[in-house]
Amino acid sequence: MAANKFLRCGKCLMITAVVAMLGGLAFLYSGLYPMGADVPHNGLTYWGLETMRERSISRAASTIEVPNDLASSERLLKGAADYNAMCASCHLKPGKNQSDFTLGLYPAPPNLAQKGDDHGHDGGHDDNTYALQRQFWIIKHGIKASGMPSWAPGHDDERIWNMVSFLQRLPELSTRQYQVLTARSDSTKERVH
Amino acid sequence: MRSKFITMSIAISTLAFTLSAQAHDPKEHMKNAEKPDCAAMENMDHSKMDMNDPVMQAMMKQCMGDMEGMEGMSGSEAPQGDKPAQHGNESSTEQTGDNH
Repeated sequence: MAANKFLRCGKCLMITAVVAMLGGLAFLYSGLYPMGADVPHNGLTYWGLETMRERSISRAASTIEVPNDLASSERLLKGAADYNAMCASCHLKPGKNQSDFTLGLYPAPPNLAQKGDDHGHDGGHDDNTYALQRQFWIIKHGIKASGMPSWAPGHDDERIWNMVSFLQRLPELSTRQYQVLTARSDSTKERVH
Repeated sequence: MRSKFITMSIAISTLAFTLSAQAHDPKEHMKNAEKPDCAAMENMDHSKMDMNDPVMQAMMKQCMGDMEGMEGMSGSEAPQGDKPAQHGNESSTEQTGDNH
């Protein structure tokens, strides 16, 4: 009697799973989900994607070794010039609150000229070491379907750490400080050569 | 004739690969780069600068050639080398008179 009930329940579950799978496939092929960047995800999709992103980065980045000279002015200078050339159009700079990219990209790229608490894209962690590991990992590997490219091709780890170094001070900089640090002076050219 | 064609193909594809690899060479960014605006630093009160702040040290390095005013600085005020960043240190920001 009990075994009969169990079998009936198992059958029921299997039928439900198959129906759900077929329903999911039908939805995928129907093309009903709005794919345009101008229509935000629904709450459930957003939560699912965000959770998957953060869990994946957390797992992959937690073993990265952080250099102990990240605060050096040399790293700061090298990272500043690269940030301005490669990141500022999406992640902004002091004195700029939006660009065509921040208005049009979805999800909108975080304004890194603001502190993590203000732009809300710091991964929600208080651990400073993890914040550095996370930034390094994101710059190096990028994030799928977000507009964030992987900078690993053509940029070695040292160069990426320089950008991480600059990011630590970016929210404190004035527009004038930013201009001086990110410009390419003759001395910068000497350092690069 | 055929080996010439193969050699040319390899040479062209190698050249294309090399050029693409150089796309993000720091030197590439130099072409359209602007110069640092060091005029503001010359007018700053150097005695109030925090020379241990990496931001200030980096700015000094950028403007070293342009700044004549810094020649009068005492040895103790000159950059001492890199020390850990003092996050939230307002002194460097205040000195530029351009807070955000």
